[in-house]
Order: sequence, then C-alpha cells, then structure tokens
Amino acid sequence: MSLAGKLTRMNLLVTATGLLLACAGFVAYDFVTIRQGLVNNLSIQAQVLGSSSVSAILFNDRASAEHTLAALVAAPNVVSACVYTPDGRPFARYRREKAAGIPDQAHPQPGDVARHWFEHGNVLVLDPIVFQGNPAGFIFIESELNAFWAQIQKYLVISVLVLLGALLVAGLVSASFRGAVLFPIQALAEVAREVSEKRNYSVRAGSDTPAELKVLVEAFNEMLAQIELRDRELREARDELERRVELRTAELAAANKELESFSYSVSHDLRAPLRSIDGFSLAVLQDYGERLDAEARGYFERIRAATRRMGMLIDDMLNLARVARAEMRRERVNLTAMAQAIVADLRKTDGSRKVDCIIEENIVADGDAHLLRVALDNLLGNAWKYTSKHPTARIEFGQAQPNGHRVYFVKDDGAGFDPAYAAKLFGAFQRLHGSSDFPGTGVGLATVQRIVQRHGGRIWAEAAVEKGATFYFTV
Amino acid sequence: MLAAVCVACAVLPLLAEGQQPRASEYQVKAAYLFNFSRFVSWPAQGSGDASAPFSICVMGKDPFGQVLDATVAGENIGGKSVVARRLAQAEQPSNCRVLFISSSEESRLREILAALDKTSVLTVSDIAHFAERGGMIQFVLQDNRVRFEVNLASATGAKLTLSSELLKVAVEVRKGAPPGQ
Repeated sequence: MSLAGKLTRMNLLVTATGLLLACAGFVAYDFVTIRQGLVNNLSIQAQVLGSSSVSAILFNDRASAEHTLAALVAAPNVVSACVYTPDGRPFARYRREKAAGIPDQAHPQPGDVARHWFEHGNVLVLDPIVFQGNPAGFIFIESELNAFWAQIQKYLVISVLVLLGALLVAGLVSASFRGAVLFPIQALAEVAREVSEKRNYSVRAGSDTPAELKVLVEAFNEMLAQIELRDRELREARDELERRVELRTAELAAANKELESFSYSVSHDLRAPLRSIDGFSLAVLQDYGERLDAEARGYFERIRAATRRMGMLIDDMLNLARVARAEMRRERVNLTAMAQAIVADLRKTDGSRKVDCIIEENIVADGDAHLLRVALDNLLGNAWKYTSKHPTARIEFGQAQPNGHRVYFVKDDGAGFDPAYAAKLFGAFQRLHGSSDFPGTGVGLATVQRIVQRHGGRIWAEAAVEKGATFYFTV
Repeated sequence: MLAAVCVACAVLPLLAEGQQPRASEYQVKAAYLFNFSRFVSWPAQGSGDASAPFSICVMGKDPFGQVLDATVAGENIGGKSVVARRLAQAEQPSNCRVLFISSSEESRLREILAALDKTSVLTVSDIAHFAERGGMIQFVLQDNRVRFEVNLASATGAKLTLSSELLKVAVEVRKGAPPGQ
C-alpha cells in the first residue's frame, strides 16, 4: 500500500478509535448515570409519597394512602406502587391503567433498607418510610425504562452520526495534509529518478526536509557526492591509462621502427659481406677453377655452402623477427587449400620422392592467412625433410576435436626425435639433429611456435625415434 | 413508637376484617392519642422547665388502663419523654400537653373547656359532638374503624398547629366557631 494510503488509513483509524472510545465512554457513562438518575428520581418520588402516607398508615386511612399514590398517574412510566405497613403487609396500592405484570413483588421485611432492582426491563424501588426517626412503613414503586432506553438509543444514533461525520472530515483533512507530509519524500524520489535516468550526479536533494528525512537526504546527497567523486576519479584514471597506453604505444612504435630499421639494416649489412664472400668465391671458382686442384675447389664450395647457410639463417631470423612484429588480421582461412599448395610446391622442388600426402578436406581456421601460411610451410617442410631418408613417406595433415577444442596436426613417419629432448624442440636455433643428417637453421619450429602463440594457441609434439613425429597445434 | 405501631398493626387486620373486640378499640385509640401528638405543634413555652416530660393526661374515668402506658412507654416527642397521667378529681390539667376527656365528664364539658381557654392543650375525647362543642379532636367509629374529627378553629384558638397530614386523614375538619360557642 502506498504511503498516502497508509497515512489516510492511519488517520482514519486513529480518529475512529479515539471517537469510538469517547462515544463508548460517554454512552456507558450516560447509561449508568441516567439509570441511576431514574432510580434516584423514583426513590425521591417514593420518599415523597411515603412521607405523605405516614398519617394514613398511622391512622389506618387506606383511602387517604390510595389517594396519595394516585398522584402517580402523572408519571406515565410508573406501572404500580404499594404502601406497606411497618411489618411488611401491603396497605394501599396503585396500578396504572392497562398495566400488565405481577402485583406485590416487594415483600418488605422490618429492618429492610432502601434498595432497587431490575426485573423484566423495569426498575423496582423499595424505600422504608421513616417518620420522626422511626420506621413507619415501606413504599414500593415499579417503573418502566422506556424513556431510558429511548434516551440511550438516541445517544447511540448521535454517536454513530458523529463518528461517520468525523471520519469524513478526518478523511478530508488528512487528504489535504497528506500532501504536506509526503511532499519531501516525493521530492527525494524525484531527485533519485532524475539521477538514475540522466546519470546527472551533480543534482542534490532539497534541504527543507523534516527531521526524520534529514538523515536520509543528507546520506543521499553524500552518496551522490561520492558517486560524482568516483566518477571523476574513474575518468581521470581512464584518461591516465589512455595516456600511458598512448605513451607505450608510441614507445612500442618507436621500438618497432627501430627494430624494423635494425632488421632492415641487418639484412642489408649482414648480407652485403655474405654476397661478397659468396660472390668472390664464385668468381674464384669460375675464373681460376681450372688452375685450382680439386681440394681447393672443394674448399671454395664449402665456403659458398657456408655463406648460403648463413644467408638462410639470416633470412630465418628476420622471418622470426617479422613474425613477432607483424600485424595480425584474423579471417577465415582454408588450411586444406593452403596445405595442398605447399605440398605441390614441395613436390616441384623434389619430384623424385614418393610421398603420400593425406590432407583432410575442409579444414578451416580463424587466423592471419600469411602467418598461418608460414607456420604450415615450416611444419610440412619439416615433415618432408625428416622423411627424406625413408624410401616412402607418409605425411598427414588433419584436425581433431579431442575435448571439444579443435586441434590441427601434421604427422609424418620420418626420423622423429627422442621425446626426452622435447623441451628443446621449439627453442630458437635448437636442433635435435645434426646438420649433416638434416639441413636446417633450427629457427623453423620457433617461428611456428611464435605464430601459434600470437594466435592465442598452443603447439606440442609427440614422437619416437625413427617412428615419426606428430605436431599438434591450436589457434 | 415501634411498640405502639406494632400494637396498632396487630390490631389493624382484625379491624379490616370487621372483627372488633371492644377491648382493642381503646388500644387503637391509645395509639392514636399518642400519634396525634406527633402531628401537632405546641407554641414555644417560655415557662415550664425543659426537662419536664410530655404528659398525656386522662381526665375522668380512665377507659385505657394499661394500654395507654404501654403505648407511650419509652417514647418521646420533641426530646421529651412521654408519660401518661390520670388526673384526680378536680385536678387542673396544668402541664398536660394532651388531655383525653373521658365520657364520664360529659356533663362538665363546657366548664372543662372554658377552664382550658388560653392554654395550649390538645383536647381529645370520644364524647358525642365533642368537636362541635369546642373540642379539638373527637374519636368516631366508622365502619367498625376508629376515625376522628378535627375542630381546627379550636386548635388554632389554643395556638396549636395541626399538620395537614393529620387533617387529611380526619373524617371531618371543622373550621367553625372557636371554643365556648
């Protein structure tokens, strides 16, 4: 129920309770006092009549006593009356015309005191008659209580009317004051609404509030101030962070640029002497080859091979560096097509080999096409390379979903490696085979790992010596 | 008083039923005699001492006997104790408040009443026409009941005030001539 409703109900309840109690009190009081008044009146009448009857009793003049009692005809509520002798015998009677009821109900005894009682809705009064200090008889009057009940009824009706009227007025008055009481609460609710709707934390609740709400309003305003403060702090922190990010980005960009230019210069500066070495070695072989013996020619060949190797190493290192820096653009990449293209290239370079390539259909991945190409290049290249010592080879590329996560794998049945050295597998320049067995720079797998990591994935391998190896990765 | 009333009440049903032994007639009259005093006011008397009793006197042949003494025994009126006295022959009814004149004195009635002139004595008798002849209260018998007549003029002439309560139960109230006429 709304506050307004509660207030109204409370007011009405208070009013009704108060009035009911008051009316009940008054009616009860009236009930008692009117009845008592009636009894007193009756008693007075009895005593007056009684004292007028003394001589009649003393001188045995029944007619006189009856004549005295007959005065009661003027009191229409009196039903009957009786004068008794001092020893309790009825002496004279009065009975209202057409009055029903039982006569002679008093039965006074000598020594009886004044008393009254109620029977059949009537009040009965018995008083001793005292004359000059001595008991002279008894007088009894019976009266109806109609007038009394009529009075009480009138009071009740008035009470009910007053109650209804007062409730009406109370309702109206409370309606008009309700507004005054509820206004501060409504104002506060209004402020709260505005704050939550418009996210305007700078408003404040009004200050002309009653004492009980003051605490609430002050707490509310305090809360708003706090929120405003936090808001500001948050914004400042965010701005600070953004600034820092900008700074870092700038630093990173600068570092990248440096690295870029470094690797550029490296590739140029390192290659230049290599080209020299290779070039002049070739020149010697070409121009002075006939004058040299086989051993010398062999030395120069070895020089050339070594420079080629170094060139490859530089290239691979640069690759690795580039892979680490390159911008990634994620898109849907068809790995099947990519693998097939790579295998086709490998077959072109070494068409004599018998290699079974099983590439699963419709392998797709979400990642950077170029980087994935590099990764697959390396993995398939490795598989091709390390099966070269076997007459036939089998290379597989597929995907599996062991726990609901998609895992891609490249499997070969080539030389494999000792799983004990698995930890070294992905380290840059780490090779588990001598370059005489298999050529290589030891950077390939490091590159693949870098690529996979940049995609947020993992790479691992299982193998046994001479039983082949399987490389698993996720992206 | 209680005794007197009880006596009277004991008698009343007998009276009502119509049986009236003659002896009880004077019981009733004795009670009435005493009760008359309770409805009469005497003038304040400067003379006479305050401790003197309230005397109800009987002049002539006493018809009450013990009954009167029994009736007034222990009673008092206006603070004075009530005594019943019988006046001796030719004794003056001085200090009597109430005087019952027996029927034996009928022949002397006029003298008796004349002698009581200027005194405040309530005269009561059952002599015929007592009230007519100047007496104040006269006993009469009516339907076997003891009733009484009052001569108010006589009483007023003796400076006695008779309560209206008394008058209303009287059979007849004469307001006629003062005593002696």
